[in-house]
Amino acid sequence: MLKFVLKRLGLALSQMFAISVLAFSLLYLAAGDIARTIMGENATQEQVALKRHELGLDQPLVERYVHWLTSALHGDLGTSYFTSQGVAQALWSRLPVTLTLLIGVTVLSGIVAFALGIAAGVRRGWLDKLVQLLSVLGYALPGFLAALFLVLTFSLNLGWLPATGFIPLTTSFTGWISTITLPIVALSLGPIASVAQQVRGAVIDVLRQDYIRTLRSRGLTEWEVILKHVVRNASGAGLTVLGLQFAGLLGGAIVVEQIFALPGLGTVAITYTSRGDIPVVMGLLLVTSLIVAVVNLLVDVGVGLLNPKVRVA
Amino acid sequence: MRRKLKVGLLGALAGVLVLALAACGSGDTNSGSTSGSSSSASGGVLRLGGFIEPSSFDPALAQEGNYIPFYQAVYDTLIKREPDGKLSPMLATKWAYNADNTGLTLTLRDDVTFTDGKKFDSSVVKKNIEHFKAANGPQATLAVDVKSVETPDATTAVIVLSQPNPSLTVALTNALGFMASPDAVGSAAITGTPVGSGPYTLDKANTVVGSQYTYVRNPKYWGDKLPYASVVMMVLTDETARLNALKSGQINAAVFQRPASGTEIKAAGLQLLGQEADWAGLMLFDRNGSMQPAFADERVRQALNFAIDKEAILKQIYLGRGQVTDQIFGTATLAYEKKLDTSRYAYDPAKAKQLLAAAGYASGLTLEIPVSPAFDPAIYTTLIQDWSDVGINVTKHEYGPGETIPALVSGKHYMAFMTLFTPNDWTTINQALTPTATWNPLHFSDPTAADLVQKIRLAADDAARKGYAQQLNEYIVDQAWFAPFFRFEQTYGADKKTHVELQVEQAVPSIYNYSPAS
Repeated sequence: MLKFVLKRLGLALSQMFAISVLAFSLLYLAAGDIARTIMGENATQEQVALKRHELGLDQPLVERYVHWLTSALHGDLGTSYFTSQGVAQALWSRLPVTLTLLIGVTVLSGIVAFALGIAAGVRRGWLDKLVQLLSVLGYALPGFLAALFLVLTFSLNLGWLPATGFIPLTTSFTGWISTITLPIVALSLGPIASVAQQVRGAVIDVLRQDYIRTLRSRGLTEWEVILKHVVRNASGAGLTVLGLQFAGLLGGAIVVEQIFALPGLGTVAITYTSRGDIPVVMGLLLVTSLIVAVVNLLVDVGVGLLNPKVRVA
Repeated sequence: MRRKLKVGLLGALAGVLVLALAACGSGDTNSGSTSGSSSSASGGVLRLGGFIEPSSFDPALAQEGNYIPFYQAVYDTLIKREPDGKLSPMLATKWAYNADNTGLTLTLRDDVTFTDGKKFDSSVVKKNIEHFKAANGPQATLAVDVKSVETPDATTAVIVLSQPNPSLTVALTNALGFMASPDAVGSAAITGTPVGSGPYTLDKANTVVGSQYTYVRNPKYWGDKLPYASVVMMVLTDETARLNALKSGQINAAVFQRPASGTEIKAAGLQLLGQEADWAGLMLFDRNGSMQPAFADERVRQALNFAIDKEAILKQIYLGRGQVTDQIFGTATLAYEKKLDTSRYAYDPAKAKQLLAAAGYASGLTLEIPVSPAFDPAIYTTLIQDWSDVGINVTKHEYGPGETIPALVSGKHYMAFMTLFTPNDWTTINQALTPTATWNPLHFSDPTAADLVQKIRLAADDAARKGYAQQLNEYIVDQAWFAPFFRFEQTYGADKKTHVELQVEQAVPSIYNYSPAS
């Protein structure tokens, strides 16, 4: 297991390096005149040239990358061009909000999807058809559309929940719940749809196995058969998909954070990328790459713990 | 044993998840209150929505426009500008120019202390202005004529100019006039921690850079308390989110960029306020004809003006929210003349064709226009169609985000569509008309205009200046240096609980302009 974990971490590091080279080049080439954007449309050419020099933007691209990489390896991700805030500090202050969203979506999706998938796979009949219909709807409805609908209904029309903003858990539990409910529900529809389908299919397959008939013949109750044996053997596929969904959630979170004005990494991604605040965007890429790598690793380990048959050496 | 280990590991994984979820949300922000103006300490909370944030709290790096309230909350200026544009005392109680307008003497308050305990005096003025000149901030040109600051005594500062600068007093109501504590000026810490003498201080515990800026009342403020005990400025970059926040009562007021937002604000029963702060239209850079020979003839430039149906563009794209105009000077300037809004270039394609024919272009003309993704494509489509109707063919040069302005100011094009802020006369002149102006990238110079600009500079006061300013305005309109379409209204929305006074020549109201409606 340790060898596996180390191997996966090594792979993650090399992926992060490749991403950093590609992203750095593309971002600087596509960013336009960052110094002009910072100085505004009325600054003189001389002022802009001075700012360009101050920020090192007149250096060759390779030199700038080497400088960035060297600093990053020493733990210094640089400073935002536009807010003068340290990149690490900027990301650290926003990470909790995005993680709240992602973990909340994962937990909610996991619980609901597993419940629906197991119910559909065990009961079949009209419940199975209903779950499949809901899955199709969940796939078809983009997260941002769901978010807009939820804001319109529950915030603007009914006034039950706030339309924007984030209240930390440490400030108020009910406030925190109120500000994360709609974003989490909006983002959960897609994962629930795909995970429920996976779980449903896996449950149906497991229920067909001979050992399930054997377990029943030994006198185990149906609940014991389902909870102790069927769920455990069928959950691997669902967990794997849930883990894969996590990476996709990062993309969905970007749009949802914009709609709900959540001060998370998603808002950083959109706002800072469009401005050309490359130090922050590079830091964000590193953080998100790391999150995806860690989550994938946790999913693999978790699946292996649940089902020794699929455990990697 | 293995079973217990497995259960233990699963339990640990679950525990980590729960702890992470619980810890998540320990960000240091308190945004998202469902009520827009809850009362905290006496005075309540004012919540404002915007789409940008300051890059630094160093006043020398301050931008103007939408950025101003962030600085006004914590810094006083030497002179204050009232909503109608009149100047009034602030840190300076009075001011006066010398005989040739090369020295501005400011008499300073002696009862002001910064929040770090340092006293405000003339040496602070000197330190701030010198730092402003050296810092290469976005507004550094405001101090271009400042030679030095003399401090004959603690309550007197004399700003010495290399030549007269008619916009100096207005500049002292803004970026050039923000006064930071002498210990903070030039320090690295001021970037994130402003130290001023203003009505509020920055509450860093409830501030998330780039998202929410919370200010609380400065208990030692020397001036009259502002109505609100706290001000929260929320950065809501997505306009739909900003609109939703206003409609749901989470914020009291906000600025909007899309004209359609005004329709929604009105439909929601909120206050819709509008300020003509910008003009939109064409800048015809190449009046010498060095890149486009046709532009050297003012009849061609005039024809371009006559050929554009400005009313239609204003109605279709800006929903009629603005005023068609032929001039680039704003309504609050000395140069502004109402007659130049509509009298000179009313839509007349026949006249445009006549002028083109007289200039030798009866068979038509081909022009190239740079296209910026920042502007509604319908503007370019309509413009190209209007010109096509009079025989002018247009090819487009498309740019990506962030590319257009650098290309324009570096002189790559002979004309461009732009929207520009309409500041005071002198700033307008130096931004767009002089040979060294940023928006005169081909450095066009004209002796008539230059003479009038010099007279404006040397005029004794605004009364003397006005005549020359209006002559200059009429001249550049007649010569069709530009093809302005309209001044459009910047949309500002507010709830019914909040009274807001718009600020002349400013994109958003000053921090002093808000009060509870009751």
